[in-house]
Amino acid sequence: MDILLLILIVPFVFGILMFLMPLNFKLLKNLHIFLSLIVSVVLLTAVGKVVDGGELHIFHQFIFLDSLGAIFLSLIAITGLLVNIYATTYMKWELEEGHITLKEVKNYFALSFIFTWTMALSVLCNNIAFMWAAIEATTLASVFLVAVKKDKKSTESGYKYIVLCSIGLAFALYATILLYSAANGNIDGEAMLYTNLLANAANLDPMALKLVFIFALIGFGTKAGLAPTHTWLPDVHAEGPAPTSALLSGVLLKCAMLGLIRYYAVVANGVGFDFVQTVMIISGTLTLFISAFFLIRQHNVKRMFAYHSVAHMGVIAFGLGVGGAIGLFAALFHCAAHSFTKALAFCSTGNIARIYGTKDMTKMGGMIRIAPITAVLFGIAICSLVGVPGFAIFVSEFLIFKAAAIGGQYILMGIFAVALAIIFIADFSHFFLATFGKVEGEVVHNSEMKLSENLPLLGLAILIVAFGVWQFDSFTFLLDESVKSIMK
Amino acid sequence: MENIINIVTVLMMATSFAVFSLRQYHHSIKAYALQTLLLVIVFLALYFKYGSHELLIWAITAFVIKVVFVPLYLLRLIKKIGVVVEDEPVGGFFISPVIALSFSLAVSMMLYKVFIHFSLFQEILPLFAASFIFMMGIFGFVLRNSFLKQILAYCLFENGIHLSLALMAYTSHELVEVGILTDAIFAVIIMSVLAKRFYASYDSLDTSKAINLRG
Repeated sequence: MDILLLILIVPFVFGILMFLMPLNFKLLKNLHIFLSLIVSVVLLTAVGKVVDGGELHIFHQFIFLDSLGAIFLSLIAITGLLVNIYATTYMKWELEEGHITLKEVKNYFALSFIFTWTMALSVLCNNIAFMWAAIEATTLASVFLVAVKKDKKSTESGYKYIVLCSIGLAFALYATILLYSAANGNIDGEAMLYTNLLANAANLDPMALKLVFIFALIGFGTKAGLAPTHTWLPDVHAEGPAPTSALLSGVLLKCAMLGLIRYYAVVANGVGFDFVQTVMIISGTLTLFISAFFLIRQHNVKRMFAYHSVAHMGVIAFGLGVGGAIGLFAALFHCAAHSFTKALAFCSTGNIARIYGTKDMTKMGGMIRIAPITAVLFGIAICSLVGVPGFAIFVSEFLIFKAAAIGGQYILMGIFAVALAIIFIADFSHFFLATFGKVEGEVVHNSEMKLSENLPLLGLAILIVAFGVWQFDSFTFLLDESVKSIMK
Repeated sequence: MENIINIVTVLMMATSFAVFSLRQYHHSIKAYALQTLLLVIVFLALYFKYGSHELLIWAITAFVIKVVFVPLYLLRLIKKIGVVVEDEPVGGFFISPVIALSFSLAVSMMLYKVFIHFSLFQEILPLFAASFIFMMGIFGFVLRNSFLKQILAYCLFENGIHLSLALMAYTSHELVEVGILTDAIFAVIIMSVLAKRFYASYDSLDTSKAINLRG
């Protein structure tokens, strides 16, 4: 069976299978880990085939996997697997503390496969309308991963999530229809296919393309968390369970960003790079400063990381705005670096909330003595988030500086440096508050988690350091090919 | 045939204003059902004009899903929850429709001029109506506080997009229509489940009460 067809079938079938399982936690847990592993192997096999032999496609190119998609598919596979394994531990704690029922755990596990399926579909769709439908489906599939409980806060976060993302994505659908209409009859082949649109972008109406990009930016930008339509993100990420926040921030935001990057490529090749770069610089700068302002005021550890997600989407937008081969390379690398880092950050908040019984950092302190491994993992996430050398995010942020310097964009370098400095100060003050000094509040769980419980977090930490100090040839190859495909 | 389409799309604009403005939920839902029926008529008119079989399939699926299923589902929801009249919107019941109407007209005046450059159907009024209905839906989300009105706003802008698709790109594959409609159904169902939960938590559908997560 074709590997792409397998991706379209396997996660969905596993989701249905999980729904049908009996209410036995041990069985559900083991099955969830085992099936997640299979899904990741399938996804990574497809990525490997792209590395070895180039683009894959089925159904008359309706479904395809190019190097750009392969980068994001590998994030779904790797980050998704580690977070799903951590989810079994987190749900066990929630179950033991009576915060959740076994039926809700089963639904959570089942929905996470459906969610993975929709994300993979959004990456694989060459048909732009289907890509939109898949990205909208990611919202629908993940609403009840966020609103797991039925209390006020959970319901409110679910409401904000679906309503705000749906409004935003309506603009993206309009962009899709406009793009198709502008292309239909003016290009060779099916005008709904991204590959055809990209190949014939120069033949499209420039005014239509500019309107398309503005609509796509509002639409996919809302879903990706770009300001000023980011407002759903802090509420949703802060309220959902830690593994959900990790999946949303680590993987889902990137899938929405992929949608935007595909429109970026088509419009840039149609009207020139200056237009899209200017728009992305404005969007990125606005996002960076708004998030930095809110970040510095946060004491809730999950809200802090949520604003970080907004900030780093701003970094990606900034990288796309600086442009050039290095700027694009940096933006794509940042998608991966941020995926691993934010997954670790949110998963570590699961440990932290267990230790202190609260997400308020002013009531923490002394974590290094209570749970040293968790404190170190938390520290690794923070170090990477602020761009300390030796951690993954440093690489992409450094490359954005380099791209700006090569292009002589010194004002942009200054703006970027100021925004990162604010984020740096905010983060380290929060980190010291929670990790060192004396305990300010109550300690509910006065010991480190078991090694087996911390294993997925350790895996993410290793990835963050590895991507910070090592160049992986296959991954670099995918990045280079993607940049070439965008710049044509 | 152009005249029929012009008249029907103007009626669709009127119904979008009715969906937005009517205070009683069941009136709003019925106005939405009527609007979708008009949309089906546009699909059929375009089918007879151009003979594109995709439009016939769109008409049938839109009728089953959006004229019959969605309104019935929403009527059942309000009956189950026991709500009759909408909560006070942003700016009050009188100002809110005036704002939505004026801004939607202004935005549509700009958009149709772009659309007409590449639309397959080259009539001004229907293209204007398509963006007007879309914008009324967007303003429905922004200005109406009721969760149920926001679900109807989603349905409204989905109709606006659907009309745009029919006018500008009716040759697109049927699967595109199926994909978009499937999402729309699931969105309405999931939002309805959340609306029920919301009512159970807040004893109201007024979303301005959802302020627990600010910070």
